[in-house]
Amino acid sequence: MLIAIAYRNLWRNRRRTLLTLSAMVVSSSLLILALGVFSGMLEDMLASATEQYHGHLVVSKSGYQDNHDLYATIRDEKLPVMLENRPEVVAASPRLRAYGLLSGRDISRPAELLGIDPEREEKVTTLMAHLVAGRPLPSAAGNGALIGSGLARRLGVGPGDQLVFVTGAADGSIGNDLLRVTGIFSTGDSGHDNGLVLVGLPWLQQLLVLPGQVHEIAMRVNDPMAAAGIADRLAAELPPGLDVFDWGDLLPEMREAVASFDVSRMIVVLILYAATGLGILNTFFMAVMERTREFGILMAIGMRPRTVRAMVLLETLQLGLLALLLGGAIGLLMTWLMQRFGIDLSGQITPVTYAGGTILPRLHAAFDPVNVWMPCGLLLVVCMVAGYLPARRAAKLQPVAAIREE
Amino acid sequence: MSLIQLDKVCKTYRTGNLEVPAVVDFTATIEAGEFTVLAGPSGSGKTTLLNLIGCLDQPSSGQVVLDGRNVATTPTRKLADFRLRHIGFIFQSYNLIPVLTALENAEFTLMLRGVPQQQRHQRVRELFALLGLEGLENRRPNDLSGGQQQRVAIARAIAAEPAVVLADEPTANLDSRASRELLELMHRLNREQRTTFVFSSHDPQVVDMARRVISLHDGRLADDRRREP
Ligand SMILES: Nc1ncnc2c1ncn2[C@@H]1O[C@H](COP(=O)(O)OP(=O)(O)OP(=O)(O)O)[C@@H](O)[C@H]1O
Ligand SMILES: [Mg+2]
Repeated sequence: MLIAIAYRNLWRNRRRTLLTLSAMVVSSSLLILALGVFSGMLEDMLASATEQYHGHLVVSKSGYQDNHDLYATIRDEKLPVMLENRPEVVAASPRLRAYGLLSGRDISRPAELLGIDPEREEKVTTLMAHLVAGRPLPSAAGNGALIGSGLARRLGVGPGDQLVFVTGAADGSIGNDLLRVTGIFSTGDSGHDNGLVLVGLPWLQQLLVLPGQVHEIAMRVNDPMAAAGIADRLAAELPPGLDVFDWGDLLPEMREAVASFDVSRMIVVLILYAATGLGILNTFFMAVMERTREFGILMAIGMRPRTVRAMVLLETLQLGLLALLLGGAIGLLMTWLMQRFGIDLSGQITPVTYAGGTILPRLHAAFDPVNVWMPCGLLLVVCMVAGYLPARRAAKLQPVAAIREE
Repeated sequence: MSLIQLDKVCKTYRTGNLEVPAVVDFTATIEAGEFTVLAGPSGSGKTTLLNLIGCLDQPSSGQVVLDGRNVATTPTRKLADFRLRHIGFIFQSYNLIPVLTALENAEFTLMLRGVPQQQRHQRVRELFALLGLEGLENRRPNDLSGGQQQRVAIARAIAAEPAVVLADEPTANLDSRASRELLELMHRLNREQRTTFVFSSHDPQVVDMARRVISLHDGRLADDRRREP
């Protein structure tokens, strides 16, 4: 009965309630959309930062990520398959890395060579997808090479041209061999475009005299934000001497960017809701003041003050739940539309690189449950806090004084 | 023992530096089953006295004893329950909760007492029949005439069979015909159901119908007359 009374009272001043409700719905749904777009930007950034080169998780010998020591290799050839069998891991790509001198027609430049299995690497990073000339590496790569666009320009080479790579091999000898450019990639990240070359894993293993060995296994996981947790679980199962790094370890600035997003999300929500909360407070104060005499009568005929308080709180609770449902639904719908279609801004702005990731010139949303439940949950909290003061005021009314009021 | 005992009751309001004595040294007893009018001009203290009897207010000095309970010594938070259990109220106007139907308004005190719905409805239907309100159960107060609203308020006040029903100028907003009808109803309830009524009025026509008239003047008891019907 109390719930029914509260509901009817809520709609007594239909226009005022609708106005307050729409303010709540608009603020919460826009908030959900804005957070979704933020998440989308972050996802783009994270994707470009991790999926372009590192992968979400990397397994290597314990010290390898600090010094890229040639001898710190993994010999276990079954490890990539074992990792891929885990449900969280989408794909795993074994890699061997070498630094040396790369020569074109008559110029030499230092370069990083990454020996990969093209089929597996394709599933982990997007390096191979940024081809601007030539063809991708075939699965049997032979001595084929994909070369960064800046490096290709400096060496004056194009698809079909020959390269010579010289480096120190594991047995102490000087390894050198011929490569043939099959394609040129351009990622937008100058570090990679000016210094990275992708070659076939067997070719590099032979050159370095490291048969069957790799330096790292890069992985893609189904939820990049959960990478740290997956890393912890994996670490416990790996053979001794091996370590697993998540993208946060490999790209600390990116981790900062994500953490600061969590904080700024909270701040944005709180600021917006402070304003919404004042609106609700105002509405309910007015609603309570108008009904002073009525509360007086209710208390005179024996309603307890705390029942009066509960009745007013029930009104705010109902308003809050209604706003939450509508705001949540509209916010989700808008997020979904933005996720599905997005807005292309490449005509207006150029990509921005920040914290090792690239923010693409587009508005698109990503779905993150936190972006929905946090605005919704806080809306309800704000609503109840804003309802509490008027409710308490109603409960504190003296029946005699309240009834005298006309 | 009398139902209501008022012993040297004083109530003084303070507005700024000014002390307004609303009720002064008022002593009277009211027995169960009586039909009493508090009469007196505007400002003579009728409302104040009814509020004191109804445990809505506490006296500045003196004692109000209701059904053996001293109002002054009862903690405020217990007074709401006490009112619910022992007192029915009818106010001058806008008695009813606008968002509730006539039936819901009438059953409200029963609901607060935790009476099951079926019993509540049965009781209210009886009362509506008695008060000539059949067919109006689902109307909202705004869609009822002033007299009908006051009758719903009576139904609410007597539904839980309180020891006493207090009515502060229940007819003030009604025309003389509706006033008379309402009064006759209260009379009948008093006769047939032995409901104790104490109400205030400054309308001579109303005062004439009462069996006991307590006249107030400037907060003091001026006259206390009983008439046998
Ligand atoms: N809350 C209050 N504060 C100050 N003075 C008050 C208050 N309530 C009543 N009074 C004063 O006490 C006196 C008695 O008031 P009361 O309302 O009891 O009279 P009444 O007989 O009911 O008058 P009416 O017929 O106009 O309703 C009046 O002088 C009034 O001004
Ligand atoms: Mg009065």
